[in-house]
Amino acid sequence: MAHWTRFEKEQEADTKRLISCLGGLHDEQDNNFQLALQFAWSNFRFHRFLDVNSHNIDRTLEGIYEKLVIHSDLNKAESWKRLTGEFLNLPLPNTEESKTGSHYAILSLLLTLSDSPSNNDYVEKERKKQAEDEPFDWGKYLREGEDFGLSPDSDTPDWLSEDEDEQESLSREDSGIQVDRTPLEDNEKKAAPAIGSWKVGEPDARTWLEQHVVQLYWTSRAHRFTHSSHLHSNLSAIWDQHLYSTDPLYTPDDKTVVTETQVIRETLWLLSGAKKLFIFQLNDGKVNVRNDIVVTHVTHNCLRSVLEQLAAYGQVVFRLQKFIDEVTGHVSETTLPGTLPTAKKNTEAHFRTYQAFVWALYKYFTSFKEELTEIEKCIINKDQTMTLSMVIDKLTPRLAQLKVLHKVFSTGVAEVPPDTRNVVRASHLLNTLYKAILEYDNVGEASEETVSLLFFLWVETVRPYLEIVDEWIVHGNLFDPAKEFIIQRNKDVPVNHRDFWYATYTLYSISEKTENEDKMSDNASASSGSDQAPASRQHTMVSFLKPVLKQIIMAGKSMQLLKNLKCKVSLHQAASRDADRKSLYTLFLESVQSRLRRGKESSPDMITEQQVNKQSLIKMQSIMVRYLELDDVHDPLLAINFARLYLEQSDFLETFACGDVSVDRSSESVTCRSFELTLRSCLYPHIDEQYLLCCGNLMQTLKEDYRLMEYLQAMRNFFLLEAGDTMYDFYTSIFDKIREKEPWQNISFLNVHLQEAVGQRYPEDGTRLSISFENVDLAKKKLPVHTLDGLLLSYKVPWPVDIVISSECQKIYNQIFLLLLLIKWAKYSLDVLQFNELVKAAETESPAEGAEHPPPSSIIPPDEPKGQEIHRMFLLRVKLMHFVNSLHNYMMTRILHSTGLEFQHQVEEAKDLDQLIKIHYRYLSTIHDRCLLREKVSSVKEAIMKVMNVVLMFAERWQAGLGAWKMDSIMKMESDFTNCHKFLVKVLNKAVCRGSFPHLESLALSLMAGMEQS
Amino acid sequence: PCSSGGPAVLSEYTAGSANYNLLLEISRLLNTGLDMETLSICVRLCEQGINPEALSSVIKELRRATDALKARNQSEIFS
Repeated sequence: MAHWTRFEKEQEADTKRLISCLGGLHDEQDNNFQLALQFAWSNFRFHRFLDVNSHNIDRTLEGIYEKLVIHSDLNKAESWKRLTGEFLNLPLPNTEESKTGSHYAILSLLLTLSDSPSNNDYVEKERKKQAEDEPFDWGKYLREGEDFGLSPDSDTPDWLSEDEDEQESLSREDSGIQVDRTPLEDNEKKAAPAIGSWKVGEPDARTWLEQHVVQLYWTSRAHRFTHSSHLHSNLSAIWDQHLYSTDPLYTPDDKTVVTETQVIRETLWLLSGAKKLFIFQLNDGKVNVRNDIVVTHVTHNCLRSVLEQLAAYGQVVFRLQKFIDEVTGHVSETTLPGTLPTAKKNTEAHFRTYQAFVWALYKYFTSFKEELTEIEKCIINKDQTMTLSMVIDKLTPRLAQLKVLHKVFSTGVAEVPPDTRNVVRASHLLNTLYKAILEYDNVGEASEETVSLLFFLWVETVRPYLEIVDEWIVHGNLFDPAKEFIIQRNKDVPVNHRDFWYATYTLYSISEKTENEDKMSDNASASSGSDQAPASRQHTMVSFLKPVLKQIIMAGKSMQLLKNLKCKVSLHQAASRDADRKSLYTLFLESVQSRLRRGKESSPDMITEQQVNKQSLIKMQSIMVRYLELDDVHDPLLAINFARLYLEQSDFLETFACGDVSVDRSSESVTCRSFELTLRSCLYPHIDEQYLLCCGNLMQTLKEDYRLMEYLQAMRNFFLLEAGDTMYDFYTSIFDKIREKEPWQNISFLNVHLQEAVGQRYPEDGTRLSISFENVDLAKKKLPVHTLDGLLLSYKVPWPVDIVISSECQKIYNQIFLLLLLIKWAKYSLDVLQFNELVKAAETESPAEGAEHPPPSSIIPPDEPKGQEIHRMFLLRVKLMHFVNSLHNYMMTRILHSTGLEFQHQVEEAKDLDQLIKIHYRYLSTIHDRCLLREKVSSVKEAIMKVMNVVLMFAERWQAGLGAWKMDSIMKMESDFTNCHKFLVKVLNKAVCRGSFPHLESLALSLMAGMEQS
Repeated sequence: PCSSGGPAVLSEYTAGSANYNLLLEISRLLNTGLDMETLSICVRLCEQGINPEALSSVIKELRRATDALKARNQSEIFS
């Protein structure tokens, strides 16, 4: 009985302790305690459970082991087997033998209490197991005391203690009662993780990391473990074995076994640009695959070949990343998106085209890395199976894009020799992109994604160019500090110089043939470059701008001129207009987007400007909020104000939002097929519009404010003698002087007369006109026809108009002026001859035959009487007059007047200054030609000159009186004249018959009429 | 709060055998939620011939009841 009660007492004591442990009840008199005790007793005594069956337990233990293996919890499985085995073989406190019923009973208890052992993560038996290795840990612990003192303690405990807390709270949750631990164990627990967590160099730290974070496969410790004994997962080993058996000399190298997951993750890291990797090694910019890497389920060569492919892409990523670093001035941290294009400080000016390109690449890589991270997360979560081939499969489009990027990069950037000028680099890059787009665009749907990628790159890269163009054609200043634009301002020519229009800008056109040699061919004058450039060979100068290059140049120069012309007039007007103006780039982007969108939804959204502003404000605000939140600032008011502030800089929104824009674009199913068409409809119209606007403005300003038309009219008035009466006054005075044989080449005399004549009717022009006399060599002067040569009429054209009426033009004007003056002179000298002069002279010499009129005859004998002589003089005079009058009429009406009318018409329609200059020049050369002053028709001109000479000599002789006449000289004159006349008629008729010179018809007819009579 | 017999029991089996550590590992691996003390009590009860399945049902029931009691107490405190 006593024995029984002692046994029972023990049982009761234990039960009570159990209840107080589990339930937290310490008061034995407590009602709940009593209830619990009763419940326990009744359950212990009266239950229907079978006795413990050791076989069942064994089977269950085996089952759990298998389960753990299946779950790949190999460590767990191993320790499970070991722990249970050891336990069964050790004695219990009150039981000496091993594998007793009590052992199995305890195991059975634990098994029934177990709660899904395969799922719980926090069973950290490894550490515990280590803790169990007491001798080792004790030593560690004792040594650790010294280490602690040496090393800074302060920064470790943070998460460590947290970890500890977590563990404690967990155990408390379970039991409800905190167990008082022995100080030994407590310290030991604290010390062990402390070593591991922050003394990474030590072997223990390694093991700690290995157990908690990742296995240190990169330290090339051979971890020869097997996941399973299945054939498929040991292919590598089996293959090695096979090699070994077939080739007796085969010696397997020492290889590092890694898991496929590790390979995948390293691949992802490689592609996202990490430089220090284990499997892939970077040597001098070349990515190599480590040779001694092996996975268990694939042979070494197979793995290697797959990885080498990936390494090539990794190299591309490195190369591009390096380029990005170079251009951004190697920033270690990524900058805010908006600041990238401008934030860098370099000694030289920013090369914006490269920066833009880099920015595009950067954006591309950002999205690429996002995708990689997505995959990596997937691997970490272990939600789905992920194999290397699956990853490669998933990345295939990206890899193809990388290939394209690399191609573009190497041709567009890497192959350019380092000392090339920026303009060549920029245009080369843009051209490469452009050509690539065209190339892929032609392939059609097959390369839609590539095209959209390239298009995105191109659109980003072209941005600085378009901004330069925009600045130039809208504000008139070519802002290009890095000299990357194809047109450069020549610094030494001021705007208000007359050469401005021709010599201010240099167009760099790059010839395709000598691309890598000296790429430059500087066309000194850009505007006449429009004459030269398109006609000449294939140029690579930024091909996309080629169709509108002329317009850009025109608009730019016009704008600059215009700015200078009315800089004071409407500066603030323009400024106010500029505030709500969209930049060319913005317009371009918008057009592209709307064009791309049109493919999807046909309904164009009609948004008023106000709405746009409001929308952009809201958008801005959200962007600002986002950026402020990065700095932990939550202040909507601040955000709104920021938004308003930055909205004024229209560019800001673009910079921030272009990420979205580009996403839109790349996801576009309707890509930019027929890329050139896109450009034509999206970019060129905006440039054209601006071109028309500012050139029109310039034209208007020139015509209205600077009286271009009046100056043109003045030129015609004075040089082309359209102001007949005025000029008549002038030239008759000269002719009279010449007739009187008085000296007339006096400059002051000429000028006085000119001023007198002009001043009456055109007081303004009087001050501008001047005449001078240039000495011509005297040998020529002998002939009377050259008397007037050397006269130089000049008209001072004020600044902006002298771009049109240049000194070269004045030279041509002057030539025509001289010719006209000659004809006028001839006409005048014939006109002033009086019949009675001659008759009187004849009478005084031989009064007998004075009034006789002999019958006309063609052949004149040498001793003809005086009367006949006089008659023949009369006849000759009339013939000459006919000729001169025909010529005069032809010149004045047929040529000058009608051509002048045409010219006036064209001038009014001229769109830009260049066109105007051309029209003017064409006009001049036309009248120059038609006045037969051209070299080609010099024989005609000579004939006319001869006739003129005859006329002048004739007039001179006439005045000298009959006494000075000799019959043979009259005959000579007659024959000279007839010859020339015949020649001219023949030549002109031929020309008219050929129909090549319709304007000559009237001259030919009238001359012919003169012929018939003779 | 700590149980009165705790230290004595602990010293007993830490000095006694390494088997308890083993057993504790197994218990942790199986995620039974037993702490050292409870485990030692259970071991002794099993040695005394208490049916393990009965014991486990008692433990589970006691845990459930304790949780319910705690929850009720808490709601009483807050209400």
